[in-house]
Amino acid sequence: MALAVAILSLSAMVLQYRLVESRLMSAQQDLLAADLNGLAALYDQRRIIALRQAIDYRATAATGEEMLLLLDRNGATLAGTRPEWPANLAPAGEGFTSENPTTFTEGGTRWLAVARTLPGGFPLLVARSLQPVDDTLAALRRGMFALLGALLVAGALVGWLAARSVMTRINRINTLADRVAEGQLDARLPGIRTADEFGLLETHVHAMLDRIENLNRATHRLSDTIAHELRTPLNRMLQKLSRIEGQDDLTADLKSEMRQAIRMFDSLLDISRAEADAGTGGGLVPVDLSAVATEVWDLYDPLAEDKGLLTKAQITPDLHILGDRNLIAQVLSNLLDNAIKYCAPGDRLTLDLAPDADRILMRVADTGPGLPDDLKPEAFDRFTRAERDRSTPGHGLGLALVRAIAARHGARLTLPPTTRGFTLEIRWPRLQQSD
Amino acid sequence: MDRILIIEDDPETAAAVRAEAEALGCATDHRDTLAAGIEAATGDSYKVIVLDRMLPGGDGVDAMARIRAGGSTALILILSALGRAANRVEGLERGADDYLPKPFEPEELRARLRALLRRGTIQVLDNDLLAFGDLEIRLKARTVHVRRAHVPTSPKEFELLTFFARNAGQVVTRMQLLENVWNLHFDPGTNVVDVHVGRLRRKLEEAGATAIQTARGEGYIFAPLPASA
Repeated sequence: MALAVAILSLSAMVLQYRLVESRLMSAQQDLLAADLNGLAALYDQRRIIALRQAIDYRATAATGEEMLLLLDRNGATLAGTRPEWPANLAPAGEGFTSENPTTFTEGGTRWLAVARTLPGGFPLLVARSLQPVDDTLAALRRGMFALLGALLVAGALVGWLAARSVMTRINRINTLADRVAEGQLDARLPGIRTADEFGLLETHVHAMLDRIENLNRATHRLSDTIAHELRTPLNRMLQKLSRIEGQDDLTADLKSEMRQAIRMFDSLLDISRAEADAGTGGGLVPVDLSAVATEVWDLYDPLAEDKGLLTKAQITPDLHILGDRNLIAQVLSNLLDNAIKYCAPGDRLTLDLAPDADRILMRVADTGPGLPDDLKPEAFDRFTRAERDRSTPGHGLGLALVRAIAARHGARLTLPPTTRGFTLEIRWPRLQQSD
Repeated sequence: MDRILIIEDDPETAAAVRAEAEALGCATDHRDTLAAGIEAATGDSYKVIVLDRMLPGGDGVDAMARIRAGGSTALILILSALGRAANRVEGLERGADDYLPKPFEPEELRARLRALLRRGTIQVLDNDLLAFGDLEIRLKARTVHVRRAHVPTSPKEFELLTFFARNAGQVVTRMQLLENVWNLHFDPGTNVVDVHVGRLRRKLEEAGATAIQTARGEGYIFAPLPASA
């Protein structure tokens, strides 16, 4: 930008320089022509004598700006502002025409000269110094270079200032975006908004965030409302069910079905709540992941053993994360419950918890039937169940909840390839111990 | 006679709670708005308050602080449709003594009410030794002896046994065990608790104490037989 302006002004200045240069040169030529015309007029009257007198007269009043020299036919000086003919100049042409003047340099000064031979072999030199022209042009050049330098500096400065102001304002919006991405949905830009495109952008971003925040709040409110509206009638049904006497098996079945339905819709609400809260640090507290893993493992281990599974847990103690203890317990409970449900006696079930680079790696692995390959891409979607598992109780929400809770904690979920069984890895972000 | 205050806007639920409370031999009062409930709770003395959450006038959880500030020493059981783990933890963290999600089974409510009613009276049990005939539990040493023979227990089994002992003679539900012994506030679906109770029960029986019985459809009862049995 600054460079373009500089180049443009540089070419304008070059143009002007050329113009001034040619004007000055033509002025000098005009002077020279006038000199020649004057001399020609004298020559017309009294030939060489008049020329000699005029040149002598002019030589005594020498200004240093003109050079006049008249020689005789043997090369001896008749009159002139200097004694000798310049070495690098030969007379060309006859008469007093001012056409095709030549330039020559002598003693560091440039001269615009007309050298002629007058009738009878008298060489005549008429020259005007180009020193004033060169001085003027040199001054002009100096001025131009100074101006160009100033222009470049000013351009760079203006450009830098403009860029800085734009960057500052873009950075404001970037910082806001970062904060929102970290989960602060209520983050907004403070201060007044300018009446330009940046102000408009900020207004749009704010409107967008308001909408996201409202949707998020609506999700929260909706889950509470659903819970209330659905559980209250279920509650009445359950109370009435309890009054039925004599059909214990049937009422027990009904109660168990109701519990299943409640569990399913709790899971759905948990998933949507965890998804709505994903990325927000709110509600998360330092949790001893090792302790939670150990507790949940100890809860399920006897169940697995009773089913004939070979179990093994390797839990590195004192690994802490920022989390929700109950949600973490739910993740593990779902995974272990699944494993125990699908594995057959003799299968192995392992839980590992260990530091892994900047994260904490939790791996639940079994040697059971595993996931059918065609199911893998959608394994974590809601209500995804393998055909062969239709007879096993469940709703296909376990892994969806696991994924939602992992996302809530900013944990990474992977299904590493296995030769046999099902393996799931969760990499939890480690708690910064500095504070 | 212990008095129980029911703050609940659904008449069906209120009637069910009242039936359970009266079955436990308590007198009950019922209020169906939050404001009336708080007024009753602070104006009278109750042993237990059964508090709903989404009430006309506000959330019961928010009212707990006001009830406490009003001078009530009642134990608060929240009975709410907001029954997900997060809701329960929130309620307990904000001062509720127990939290039962709707829909609830009458047996579950009765077990919890009973536990709360007892809580006020069994503080004496907080000494070191809990003795039930042949069965002795030493809290500080965390040891269990049956007929003076040491019964090795895992830490969780010990906590399980202690919880049973503290509620001796009463039905304890699986949900109560999960909440109190494992501190887990969600329904894991499978009866994982049964395996643990089964193991503890076998250990005690092998040592000669038949202490834990299944209460069909409800949970378990810790009822050690007299010494000479």
